[in-house]
Amino acid sequence: MRKAFLSLVVACTMVGFLFVPGQARAGRGKIKIGSVYIFSGFAATYGQFAKQGLLLAVDEINKSGGILGKKLEVYFEDSHAKPPIALRAIRKLVYEKHVDFLIGLDSSGVAKGVVPYLKELKVPLIITHAATPDVTGSQCNKYTFRVSVNINQNVMAAAKIAAQTKALKWTTVGPDYAFGHQSWEYFQKYLSKLNPKAKFMKTVAFPKIATEDYSPYITSIMAAKPDGVFISLWSGDLVNFVKQANKMGFFKQGYTVLMSLGAATEVLYALKDQMPTGLWVGTRYWFLANDTPVNKHFVEAYKARYGVYPSYNAQNAYAAVYALKAAIEKAGTTDKMAVIKALEGLTVEVPAGKIHIRPGDHQAVLNVTWGKTAADPKYPIRILKPMVIFKGEEVTPPVSATGCKMR
Amino acid sequence: MDTLLINILNGLCYGMLLFIISMGLTIIFGVMGVLNFAHGSFYMLGAYLCLWLAPHIHNFWLALLIAPFLVGALGALSEMALLRPLYGRDISFQLLLTFGILLILDDAVKLIWGPGYHSIEAPKALSGTVQILGSTYPVYSLFIALLGPVIATALWFFFHKTAWGKMIRAAAMDREMASAIGINVPLLFTAVFFFGTLLAGMAGVLAAPLRAIGPAMGDNIIIAAFIVVVVGGLGSFLGAFIGAIILGLVEALGIQFVPQIQMALPYLLLALILLVRPRGLFGSE
Amino acid sequence: MEKGKSLKLAALLAGALFLFIFPHFAGVFAVLLLTEILIFALFALSFNLLFGYTGLLSFGHAAFFGLGGYAMAFMVQHFHLSMLPALAISTIVAALGAAIIGFFSIRRDEIYFAMLTLGFGMMIFTLVHQWRSLTGGSDGITGFEVPVLDLLVKKLSLFSPWAYYYFSLVVCLLGAILLWRLTLSPFGLILRSMRENPERVSFVGIDIKLYRWIAFTAAGLMAGVAGALFALYDRMASPSMVHWTMSAKPVLMAILGGPRVFLGPALGALIFYLLEHFITQYTQSWMIFLGAILVPIVIFFPQGVLGTLIAWAQRLIRREGHGE
Repeated sequence: MRKAFLSLVVACTMVGFLFVPGQARAGRGKIKIGSVYIFSGFAATYGQFAKQGLLLAVDEINKSGGILGKKLEVYFEDSHAKPPIALRAIRKLVYEKHVDFLIGLDSSGVAKGVVPYLKELKVPLIITHAATPDVTGSQCNKYTFRVSVNINQNVMAAAKIAAQTKALKWTTVGPDYAFGHQSWEYFQKYLSKLNPKAKFMKTVAFPKIATEDYSPYITSIMAAKPDGVFISLWSGDLVNFVKQANKMGFFKQGYTVLMSLGAATEVLYALKDQMPTGLWVGTRYWFLANDTPVNKHFVEAYKARYGVYPSYNAQNAYAAVYALKAAIEKAGTTDKMAVIKALEGLTVEVPAGKIHIRPGDHQAVLNVTWGKTAADPKYPIRILKPMVIFKGEEVTPPVSATGCKMR
Repeated sequence: MDTLLINILNGLCYGMLLFIISMGLTIIFGVMGVLNFAHGSFYMLGAYLCLWLAPHIHNFWLALLIAPFLVGALGALSEMALLRPLYGRDISFQLLLTFGILLILDDAVKLIWGPGYHSIEAPKALSGTVQILGSTYPVYSLFIALLGPVIATALWFFFHKTAWGKMIRAAAMDREMASAIGINVPLLFTAVFFFGTLLAGMAGVLAAPLRAIGPAMGDNIIIAAFIVVVVGGLGSFLGAFIGAIILGLVEALGIQFVPQIQMALPYLLLALILLVRPRGLFGSE
Repeated sequence: MEKGKSLKLAALLAGALFLFIFPHFAGVFAVLLLTEILIFALFALSFNLLFGYTGLLSFGHAAFFGLGGYAMAFMVQHFHLSMLPALAISTIVAALGAAIIGFFSIRRDEIYFAMLTLGFGMMIFTLVHQWRSLTGGSDGITGFEVPVLDLLVKKLSLFSPWAYYYFSLVVCLLGAILLWRLTLSPFGLILRSMRENPERVSFVGIDIKLYRWIAFTAAGLMAGVAGALFALYDRMASPSMVHWTMSAKPVLMAILGGPRVFLGPALGALIFYLLEHFITQYTQSWMIFLGAILVPIVIFFPQGVLGTLIAWAQRLIRREGHGE
C-alpha cells in the first residue's frame, strides 16, 4: 500500500513539473526560429557548424534592426541523428517554444521521418543539409523547402566530370545506407546517359557508417582494378577512409577518384596535407567559389568569429536565415502561409551565389562546385584548382522528373 | 588468392588492435566482475591524449608511453571514487554507472577538443609501405599485427611470472580466498582497473594514426570488444587473443565474400559460439 | 490488512484518475511527451518482467519493440488496416519473434544471456536495415497516418494528440495491469523463485526453461505493443527502433527506477524523459549532465529510485512504530 502511494506521489510531483511553463508566448515582437541538427555522437561537428552559421546570420540581422522591425530568436535542439528524437525535438519547438519557422536537419533518414509530419505541424521548414531527393520529390509538401544541394545536383555534376575523364570502368565506395546506395544509382543513371561506353563494376564497397577498419574494402577495390572510383563517404568516415587508403597506396594506382563530399572543410581541416592532390572533390558550398561581396563578407566574418573557413553546413544554415528574411520581407508579414507563398519562386543572393527556390518542388536551384584538390601555401588546407562550377539549371532535373506532387 | 592473403593480413591487424582493447576489458571483468561500458571511451581518450601530446613532444613513442598512463590514472581515479561503492551489488548497476562515465567522457572530449575530426601521422619510421605478393602494404599495419603477439607474450609473463600477476590471477579465481590470504583487495582492484584502462588507452594511441580522431569513436569499438571477450571466454587471456583474431578475420573475410550481410556477421559469430559453447571458447564454467 | 488493500486500490485509482484528467490542463507538448513516456513505461515494464522478476538481463529487447513498430507501420502503410486489427497483428509478430529468439536465448543466463540477446537483436537490426524492399532500409517506413479506431458502433479518429494520448493510456494501462497480474500469479511467483534460486526450483520438478521461455515471449509481446504504439505516435518505423541503443533504454529505466518494484521501471522512464527534457532546455551538452546525474543516482539509490525511497520510508515508519 505504502509502495503504491509513494510511487503515486513521486510520479505526480514529477509530472507536475510539466506544468512549469517554458518560455511563455511573450515576445510577440520576435520571430522565433527552431533549429534541429546533430549535436552529439560522431557527426556532432555538423551541428556545431550549422549553429555557428545560423548565429552569425541572426546576429547580423538583429544588429541591423531585425526583419520588419522584429528581432530573431533561435532555439537549438539535438536530433541525435535519429528520426524519432528529431521528431520529438521538432514537436517541442513547435508546441512548447511556439517557433514560427524551422531550419535544420542533417541526416536524410531524419528528414524522411520528419517531413511528412510537417503537414500536421503546419510550420514551414527550410532544410539546409539532408540531401535525399525524396523530400523535394515523392514526399514533397508545401511546408518543406531546401536551400542546399541535393544528391541529384551533386551527383549529376559528378557524372559530368566523370564523362570528361578517360575512365570507363567505374566502381564506388559509399556508406551502407540510403544515401550511399542512392548516390551510386544516380551516378550510374547520369553517367550512362552522358557516356554510353561507361561500365559499372560488380565489385562495389558499402561499408557501414562509422566503420573502424576500411582496409578490407580498399583491398577488394584495388584487386578489382577499376579506372574510376566514385566515393560518397562523408565526414569522419571519409577521413578514416582517406587515411587508410593513403597508407595502402590506393591513390597511387592511377584511378580517377571522385569524392562527392571530399571538399567539405571539416574533412580538409582534419586531413590537411594528408589529403592527396589531384582528386576530384565535390561539396555543397565552396568558400572560394565566387567573389561576390556577399560571399566575401560571409567568409571574412565567419573566419574572424570562429577562426576557420566556413564549411558547407555553416553556409547553408546562414543562407537559410537570409532566405527566410527575404521571404518575410517579400510577404510583408510573418504569417506562415504568406511566408510559404513568398518562399515559392524566391530568388535570393546568399554566399553560395544566387539561389532560386522552385515553386514546383521547393528545391533551390543553385550552382554546384567541384574541383581538383591542390596545395596552396596561402591556405592551411587543400583548395580546389581547377575549379568547375556547374550552373544550377544544368544539374537540377526538371520538376516533372522529381516525382513531386505539391500539396 | 593474393586478395585473400592480404585480407587475412588486414584481419590480423584489426584483430590485434581489438585484442589490446579487449584484454583490458577481460582483465577487469575477470578480476572485478565489472563489465566496463566506458572502456571504449578510455580508448578514445588515449587517441585524444596522443593528439594533445603530439605538438608538445614531437615523438609518437613518447606519447605511446605517456598517454596510456594518463588514461590509466583517470581509470584508477574513477574506480576509487565511483565504482568502489558498488561492489557486491548486481552487475547491472556497474553497467549503468560505467554508462554514466561513458556519457561524461564522450561529452567532455567534445567540450575540450571540439566536435570536429583530427588526424595525426604515423611515426616516420613506420609510415612507408612494403611489397607483399605484388600488393603494397603499409608498414604501420604490419607493425600493429606484430605488436599484438609481443604484448600478448609480455602479458603472459606478467601474469605467470610476477608476484602482481599471480595475485591478479588468484583474485580472479576466488576473490574471498585472495582476501583471506592477505591480498589487499581494494588496492588490487584499483590496480587492475588502472591496468585495464591503460591497455584501452594504449590501443587508442596505436589506432590514432590509422583513423580520424573524433567524438564517439569509442562507441563502436566497445561492442566489438564485448563480442571478442564473450566469444573468447570472459576473463580468459588466451580467449581474448583468439577471439580478437577470429573477429578480425570474420570482419575482413566477410567483407570479401558476403558484403551484404557483413553488418550481422559479428553478431552471428557471437550467437553461434554462445549456443555451442555456453561460456565462450576458453571460458571456465 | 483489509484496510491496507483498499488504501492501495484507492491510491492506484487516484493515479489513474490523474493520468486521465491531466491532459485537460496541459498543453500539446506535455500531452505528446506524456504519451511517449507512457509508451516507454510499458516498454520498460515489459523488459522488467525478464529482468526484475526472472533475473534475465536482456540487451536485445528493442528487437520486439521494433518488430511491433515495423509490423504496425507495414500494416497501415500497405493494407490500410484499422487500429485494432493492426495492433493485434503487430503484437502477434512481436510475440512470434520473441518466441523464436527466446527459444535459443533462455538456454543461457547472466551476461551470456545478455550478449546472446544483443546478438539476436542486432541481427534483426541488420535485417531491417538491409532489406530495402520490405522495410525501406535505413529510411524506414514513413508517411502513413494513424488508422481509425473502429469500435463497430463508432469510428474514432486518433489523429489529435489528445485522442492518441487517451488511446495509448488505455492500452498501456491494460498492458501494465496484465503484466502486474502475471507477476502476482503462481506463474509470477515461480519466476521470482527461479531468480533467487534456480537449483531449488528445478529440484521441485519445474521446467525452468519452459517458464523462462514463456516469460520471454510475454515480455516480447508487450514490447511489441509498445513498439506499435510508438510507430503510430511518430508516424514512422525507423531502424533506430531496433538498434541496441534502443535496447539500452529499458535497461537504464529499470535500474534507475528500481527493478524490484513493479512500477519502478515506469518511474524510471518518467525520470529519464524529464531529465533529458530539462537538460536539453539549457544546453546541447546533455550527455555530460545526464551522466553527472546518473552516476550519483546509481551510487546513492542501491535499489533504484523507487525501491530505495520505499525502503527509506519503511525504515522511517518502523522507527516511528517502535517509538510509540
